[in-house]
Amino acid sequence: MEISFTEKDLQFRGQVRSWIKNDYPAHIKQKQNNGEKLSKQDIIDFHKALSLQGWMGYNWPVEYGGTGWSSTQIYIFQKEFGLAGCINILPFGVGMVGPVIYTFGSDEQKKRFLPNILNFDTWWCQGYSEPGSGSDLASLKTKALKEGDHYIVNGSKTWTTLAQHADWIFCLVRTETTEKKQEGISFILIDMKTPGVEVEPIITIDGEHEVNAVFFTDVKVPAENLIGEEGKGWTYAKFLLAHERFGIAVVGASIRQLNILKDIVAGLKNPNLERKITELEINLNALEMLELRLLSDLENGGHPGAESSILKIRGTEIQQRLTELFVEASGEYALIYPGPHGHSNNQPAGPAHAAKSVSKFLNYRKASIYGGSNEIQKNIISKYILGL
Amino acid sequence: MNLNYSDEQQMLRDQIQKFCESDYSFEKREAIIKSDNGYDKDLWKMFSELGWLSVPFKEETGGLGYGPVELTILFEEFGKVLVVEPYLSTVVISGSILDNSNFSNKSKLIGSITSGEKHISLAYIESNQTFDHSSLSTTAISDGNTLIVNGMKSLVLNGGNADHIIASVMLDGEFALVLIDQGLSGYSSNSYPTVDGQTCAEIQLENVSVPSESIIAKGEDAINLLSEAINLATLCISAESIGCMTACYLKTVEYTKERRQFDQPISNFQVLQHRMVDMFIETEMCKSLLYKAMLECDSNEPTKFKSVSGLKSQIGTAGKFVSQQAVQLHGGMGVSEELLIGHYLKKLVAIDSLFGNSSHHLNKYISS
Repeated sequence: MEISFTEKDLQFRGQVRSWIKNDYPAHIKQKQNNGEKLSKQDIIDFHKALSLQGWMGYNWPVEYGGTGWSSTQIYIFQKEFGLAGCINILPFGVGMVGPVIYTFGSDEQKKRFLPNILNFDTWWCQGYSEPGSGSDLASLKTKALKEGDHYIVNGSKTWTTLAQHADWIFCLVRTETTEKKQEGISFILIDMKTPGVEVEPIITIDGEHEVNAVFFTDVKVPAENLIGEEGKGWTYAKFLLAHERFGIAVVGASIRQLNILKDIVAGLKNPNLERKITELEINLNALEMLELRLLSDLENGGHPGAESSILKIRGTEIQQRLTELFVEASGEYALIYPGPHGHSNNQPAGPAHAAKSVSKFLNYRKASIYGGSNEIQKNIISKYILGL
Repeated sequence: MNLNYSDEQQMLRDQIQKFCESDYSFEKREAIIKSDNGYDKDLWKMFSELGWLSVPFKEETGGLGYGPVELTILFEEFGKVLVVEPYLSTVVISGSILDNSNFSNKSKLIGSITSGEKHISLAYIESNQTFDHSSLSTTAISDGNTLIVNGMKSLVLNGGNADHIIASVMLDGEFALVLIDQGLSGYSSNSYPTVDGQTCAEIQLENVSVPSESIIAKGEDAINLLSEAINLATLCISAESIGCMTACYLKTVEYTKERRQFDQPISNFQVLQHRMVDMFIETEMCKSLLYKAMLECDSNEPTKFKSVSGLKSQIGTAGKFVSQQAVQLHGGMGVSEELLIGHYLKKLVAIDSLFGNSSHHLNKYISS
C-alpha cells in the first residue's frame, strides 16, 4: 500500500494549482471574496477560461476533445478546484449529456453538440424530474409522439436547475406506453427556444431563483434530436448516473469550509462547538479516505459500484452539517437574512460569514434530496451490496 | 497511490480467515472461556507454528518483519469470531516494547514469545489514575544490584497467565519500565474476567526484589516505548472492532432474511433495510479511518497519534451503534448468551473502554 501520489500526479497537481492561482478569472475571485452574487456572465466567463486551457472536457476521452485524464487526475483536478473555492463546473453539459452523446449518439450528433459543450457555447439543463415523478423517476409522463420527422412533446419538468439561463435541455420522455414503465422512455434533446417551451421560476426557501418548472406545449422537436434508440432512454440515464461518481462527495469544498469554520470558531471560546467541529472533521477524514479507497480500486481494475452511494450520502450529510455549524457559529447574527440578491450594496451588521450562513443552510437542504435522494441511495446499497 | 492489499497480505488474511471459520466455532470459544487459563494452549502453539506470533517482530530479533498493516489484518479477522487468545497483551504490547527497546535480554524474551512458551503482560495502570499513566505510586528503589519494587497494578491484561510483567515504576524518582518474574517473592496476582470473555488481573508487588538488569528503559525512552506500544495496540483493537462490526451487519442481514413475521421475511421492511445500510456505512467509514491510521503508523508519520485518536474516537461510537442495532434487529435472540450477536456488543463495549474511550480520544484529537 502506498498513500502518496506519484511524482507525475504531483506535477499535475502543481499545474492545476498554478492555473487556479494565475488564470482563474480575477473579477470572479474578487466577487467571491466580497461575498457578492455571481452573474450569468461570470459563470460563462469561468467556463470559457477553462475551455481556453483545454480542461473543459476533464472527464472525456481524447478522441472527443477531452483531456484523457486518468481517474486519479480527475480526482486531483476536482479536489483542487474544491479546496480553492472555485465555482462548480456545471455538470449538465460536460458531466451528463456529453458522455451520453459520445457514447450513444450518432456521428452527426457528436459533431453538432460536442464542440459546443467543450467551448461552453451551449448551456445545458437537465429535464428528468416531473411534478409527479421524483424518486420514482420511471413514472414520468411527459410524452413525445412521433409525427413524420418530428416528435411532439407535451408535459412538464420540474426542479430544473438554472433552466432560466439554458440554451438546450436534455429530457427523458415517454415515447410509448409499455407494461414495464422503464421500456417506453427515450432520451431527447430540445432547443429551449422552440415555440411551446416555457420556463417558470421556483423560488426556494433561501429566497433564491436556482430551480425552475419547464412546460412543454405541443413542442415540435426534430426526430434527429433523439439519442440512440427509442425506448432505450432509461439505459442511457442509468449510464449517466454511473458516469459521474467521483466528486459527488465534494471533499475538497468541504475541507475548505471546515477550515474557514475552524478559523471563525478559534476566537469564540466555545468548547461545545469545537467538539462538534472535531467530530465533523473526523467524519470528513473518513470520507476522504473512502474516496481514495474507491479510486485505488478503480485504478487497479476494479469496478466500484454501489459503494459510491456512501459518498453521496455522507458527502451531503457533511455539507449540510457544515452549514448548520456555520449558523451556530454566527450566534445571534444568524437572524440576518440577505434575501434573494445578496447584500453587496448594504453590508449588514455582524461578522461577514453570518448573513450568508443561514442562506446557505437553507439552500443546502437540497443536497440530500437531489441526485437520487439519500433514501434512494440507501435503497441502492440495500439491494446491490447487502442483497436485501 | 495504491490502497489495495498486496498478494502476500491477502494470503495472510486468507490463512487467518480459514482458521477462524473452521477452527473457532461459538461452542469452542465458550469452552475456552470457561477453561482454567481462559485461552487454548494448543491453539496458541498452533499460532506459533503458523508464524502468527512472529508477525510484528523485526527480522533481526527472529520475527517476520511485518508491520501495522499485517497486524490490523490479523485483528480484523480475529474480531469477526471474537478470538480470546491473549495476542494483544503478549505479542503486540509487550512485544512492541521489547522489540523497540535496547534491553539486553530482549532476543531471548522475544524468542520465548514467538515460540509460544511465555506470556508477558504490561502492568501500567493503577487504580487512582484517569488515563494519565505517567503519574505512579509504584516505586522501585535501587539497593546495590537489586531493585525493591512496591505497588499495586490493576487491569493487567492476561495478567493471571503472565510469566513476566513489564511494570511501570518510579525508579528512584524517574519513570521506568521493569521486567518482573511472576514467581518472585512478594508478587501476587488476582485474576478476574473481563466483559469480553478475556481475563485481567490485579497484581500486588510487595518488597519484590528484582535484579537491576531487569530495567528495560528509563525516562524519556521508557515513556516513548509505552506510548508507541499503546498507540499500536489501540490501532489493533480498532481493527478488531471493525471485524466485529462487519460480522454484526453481515449476520444481521442473514438473520433478517430468515426471520419471518407478518407472513414475510423481516428483511422486506424498509425501516430495517435502511438500519442495516447505516450499520454498513458506519463500518465502511471506520474502515477508511483505519486505512489512514495504519498507513501513518506504518510509515511512522508524526501525525500517527492524532489519526489513531480520530479512529478510536469514531470506533467507540460507531461500534456501539452497530452492535446495539444488531442486537435490536435480532430481537429477543439478540440479548441471549447463546448467540454470538450479544457477545459482539460486549466486545465493542470492552474495546471502547480500553486505552481511552471515545470521549477521551476526541479530546486527545482536539489537543494534538
